Amino acid sequence: MEVIESFENNLNLKCKLQVLSRADGSAMFSEGQTVVLSAIYGPVEVKMQKLLIEKASVESVFKPKSGLPGVSDRYKEYLIKNICETALASALYPRTAVLVNLQEMQNQGQLISCAINAVCLACLDSGIDMKFLFGAVSYFLTKEEELTLTPPINESSVKAMFVFVFNNTKGDVIASHTEGRFSIDQYKTALDICRDEVKKVFIFFKETLLDT
Amino acid sequence: MSSIRKTIITNCEKNFLIKNLSEWTRLDGRAFNEFRNVEIEFGKDWGCCKVSLGKTMVISQVSCELQQPKSSRPNEGVLNINLELNPMAEPSFEAGRQSDLSSQLNRLLEKCIKDSKAVDLESLCVKVNEKAWAFRVDINVLNHEGNILDCASIAALSSLAHFRRPDVTCDGEEYKIHNVKQRDPIPTVIHHYPVCITYAIVKEGEYILADPTLLEEGVAEAFLTIGLNAYKELCGLHLGGNAHLTTKAILETSNKAAKRAVDLVQLIKEAVEIDTNERLTMKSLGFHNTLDKQISDVHVDELGKYLDHWTMDKIKRNPKKNQKVTTPMEETESTEEESEEDKSMDVSQEKVESITNLGDGTAKLDISTAQHEWITIESDEESEKEDDVIIVEPKVETLSIDSNSEEEQVLVLNPVQRSAAKKKKKKKKKNIIS
Repeated sequence: MEVIESFENNLNLKCKLQVLSRADGSAMFSEGQTVVLSAIYGPVEVKMQKLLIEKASVESVFKPKSGLPGVSDRYKEYLIKNICETALASALYPRTAVLVNLQEMQNQGQLISCAINAVCLACLDSGIDMKFLFGAVSYFLTKEEELTLTPPINESSVKAMFVFVFNNTKGDVIASHTEGRFSIDQYKTALDICRDEVKKVFIFFKETLLDT
Repeated sequence: MSSIRKTIITNCEKNFLIKNLSEWTRLDGRAFNEFRNVEIEFGKDWGCCKVSLGKTMVISQVSCELQQPKSSRPNEGVLNINLELNPMAEPSFEAGRQSDLSSQLNRLLEKCIKDSKAVDLESLCVKVNEKAWAFRVDINVLNHEGNILDCASIAALSSLAHFRRPDVTCDGEEYKIHNVKQRDPIPTVIHHYPVCITYAIVKEGEYILADPTLLEEGVAEAFLTIGLNAYKELCGLHLGGNAHLTTKAILETSNKAAKRAVDLVQLIKEAVEIDTNERLTMKSLGFHNTLDKQISDVHVDELGKYLDHWTMDKIKRNPKKNQKVTTPMEETESTEEESEEDKSMDVSQEKVESITNLGDGTAKLDISTAQHEWITIESDEESEKEDDVIIVEPKVETLSIDSNSEEEQVLVLNPVQRSAAKKKKKKKKKNIIS
């Protein structure tokens, strides 16, 4: 097992804020060749059955580019909803809703981490109160037991995929998602590398905000 | 099932809009028969495009699948158009739920594109009664600022024209779909491009507005949607809502729409051609490439529409920004201030243009000496403020002709202060970064 990606390798992040005029906060985020558009409405009026007395309820919708949303899209919604519930200071907005909308624009393997980062930037753009920032990094294990940050061009050569989400205060893992088979050692290596790599993501967040 | 309520348009807004229309102006400065800008951007995959009509934005993706053809039409493929109103576009839209609006829009799109036989379905058949391609066009609305239908129809057509299906071969029983690397994908045959063009009818047919915005849609009593292709052939006509429209008005509007249709089809064809040519040169294309393109200062551009005499001289400013890089910080600050003063002089010296009506929808611009001018106020106190708009009481007494006229207020928009504030901010940021 060897790590072929050097730390100088760029994640190739790009972002454009305030893409949509209707949403309170929106961001088009790209990681490599994966592009996700996210929009945040909130705090807005809540549906009766989703009203929470002590905090804001977070709803998330993930839309695939083609076809009807399936189980994997529901899963992404659930993951993002969980992350937002921990990261947003929802206790400040009781009896309201925060709507997190995501649209896949282009998928080249890093869809989940790209979506999570897009949500964080959209939250920042909307100006909603947050407890901390969150950033995600994807990591791939190929069939040749190589670990890489950039997704292999051939999708079938991916043996496993890891997505780690960290907060920016202590660098703790707030969510993790894996697909495929891997050993504990590989998981640990991936975690360590992603923890280092996420610092670049946070720096990128800062730079984008300073630019606008 | 309760859902998030739609934003209600207030009576004040309605009255204001109608009052403006009676003075032949629209809130965004367009003429009644003027459309918003169309932008078509293609993604990395075949048949994926993002279309924006003004601020309304949709993304469209074509996908295909081998299927058994319908028994009623054994030698034809299938085309499905599916428009989704996402809560991203407007929070009152519900995900995955058919509303009245979405089924109406879907039906209109289908009527325009599918029923007019724009796509050659027979060429999609692989083997009669056994296998045919089923195309599915997914249109997701990203931002709702009025006139979703026009935007969606442009998106559907451009993604269909852009799409290429993989090649398929059959050796007796088995059908083999070749991937892009093995065999070149095949473009779709499109007979003609029928686009939808929507007009809003306000105040019982008195005003007919092309390409209505969200507010205009809310005020309008009825909508006239015309499906047309570049050959001026009518592919669909729909009058929704209730308004008294004469046949003459409908005919006139569809004639105007025909001109628009020609332009739109030209635009779609050009956009697709440019993109396919670029793909041939093996360029890496997609949304990720166009992301870092700087957006123009939209708000400033918009302001310019309302204020005829207030122009931002962007071309002049840019070279000075470049100079900033070469010269040390302290010096540039002083030179910038000087240059800004020059510009403010330019603004005040600008001549007032008067518009003379020549009739029949044409007008002439005359540059005459100034009678009214924008007052620019330059004092140290105010330049420190970061406010963009300063309301100043008129120093000279206004000649009140009408007895009931209210006290006039002069709006002074000071571009200089605004930019100064911006630059200050930027400098602060740079310090932070360094």
